[in-house]
Amino acid sequence: MPLEATLMIIDNSEYMRNGDYQPTRFEAQTDAVTTIFQTKVDSNPESSVGLMTMAAKGPEVLVTHSRDIGQILQGIHKTTGRLGGTADIPTALNIAQLALKHRQNKNLRQRIILFVGSPLDGAAADEKGMVRLAKKLKKNNVAVDVVAFGDAIEEGAEGSGNVLKAFVDAASSGDNSHLVSVPPGPHLLSDIILTSAILAGDRGMPEPMADGGAGGEGAGGSNQFEFGVDPSLDPELAMALRMSMEEEQARQAAAQAAQQSPAPSAPDSAPTTTVPAEPTDEEEEAMLRQALAMSQEEQDVEMHDHGDGDGDEDEEMSEEEAIARAIEMSMQQSEQEQQQKK
Amino acid sequence: MQVSLLEFVNNSQTTCLNESFEHGIKSILSSKKKNTSDAYLLSDADEQLLLNISFNQTVRVRSIVIKSTNASQAPQEIKILVNRSSVGFEDVQDAKEPEIAQALNLTEEQVTEGQQIPLRFVRFQTVNSIHIFVASNHGGEDETRIDAVDILGVPVETTKDLSGLKKQDE
Repeated sequence: MPLEATLMIIDNSEYMRNGDYQPTRFEAQTDAVTTIFQTKVDSNPESSVGLMTMAAKGPEVLVTHSRDIGQILQGIHKTTGRLGGTADIPTALNIAQLALKHRQNKNLRQRIILFVGSPLDGAAADEKGMVRLAKKLKKNNVAVDVVAFGDAIEEGAEGSGNVLKAFVDAASSGDNSHLVSVPPGPHLLSDIILTSAILAGDRGMPEPMADGGAGGEGAGGSNQFEFGVDPSLDPELAMALRMSMEEEQARQAAAQAAQQSPAPSAPDSAPTTTVPAEPTDEEEEAMLRQALAMSQEEQDVEMHDHGDGDGDEDEEMSEEEAIARAIEMSMQQSEQEQQQKK
Repeated sequence: MQVSLLEFVNNSQTTCLNESFEHGIKSILSSKKKNTSDAYLLSDADEQLLLNISFNQTVRVRSIVIKSTNASQAPQEIKILVNRSSVGFEDVQDAKEPEIAQALNLTEEQVTEGQQIPLRFVRFQTVNSIHIFVASNHGGEDETRIDAVDILGVPVETTKDLSGLKKQDE
């Protein structure tokens, strides 16, 4: 639960009109800003958050140290209609540092969260200058988190990723600054940030649990989780998925076991294998008849009987698996027949 | 007559710029008396340090003590300011008297033995916060180390610190 004064620098350059993030880069950033604001404010009753822009006519502080979401929203709203120009990152960082320096409560640790969605150029692309600026921020006890998205990450090894990474590394003191790169994709920018190292401390999560650690490029999207869902966001869904996965594994293991032992009996795929243990004679008769009928039409039944929910699974299943499953089912059927004979 | 003023230090508003993550100013000041433990204050990005020490009542400062066990890492040039609410490195880097209260050049003995360094008493009559800027160290090292700080003087007789008062049960 860090006690922090945070200043968020948002990118409002022309590049933010791009629609490669849902719904647009700027809207995605807005979403992320409110998410960060809420998390920071909720984590400590004394923490405050400010907001400034860095493009258009020039860097402009919209909100200094506030705990009122209304002020943040108002600031963003004012900016929405005024996208333009290019981002001036070094100047914005200097202004942010000044704004943080004049905070009321000196007990608050200082932090800048920089959103960059436009390509770095001019002074911002100069690695030496940026590292010097980072050293200055570090000297003034200012931690810097950088969220790189859109054009800020498109350039390869020689490009902006390195400048921003060098910048964050130089500003980091005791691993308190992080770089998170969020490529475009179906995921939400705010979701990635919420689970990243940037907000790990505020959410009371241990650092290693968060992806994209110090300078990490790992926030690659939703596919980094086992089932494409972050377990910490929706534990129930994650558990349901895991249970379903375990059932499937158990089924496959059973199929394998069945394949290894010979099972020379009529293949059948009737779901009657799960009936209670002690059926009456009449029921047995009925089931036998049913089983017989189904075994006769097994050619058709084999692929289609296995429930409606598993349609896509059947598509993926190879022929060998299908055979394995058929054999397993026949095994179960033969077991039942033995049971019936007793 | 002078006493240690560390008991009047307001810890929550006391900060240090360019302190390292592991060796911060709280480790040497939070005990409310001159630090004798192993803890020390170390600079981070370069050799400069800016200690902002805030008091919870007005005091008069007569002298300070800065102790550092390692001579080459001990502070040499220091500048002292009073009652500046938010001061950064850029404010003090090129500042001279009288904008700052006093600039001092410390000798090696003064810092390694922790001698009392007398200040110009007239300039420290109403001190609510004192800011010590360490510009360089003796060995020209990248890191400056301070093991203990003491501030000596007299408290001004005003309304006493109320933070110690507790609500009385009836």
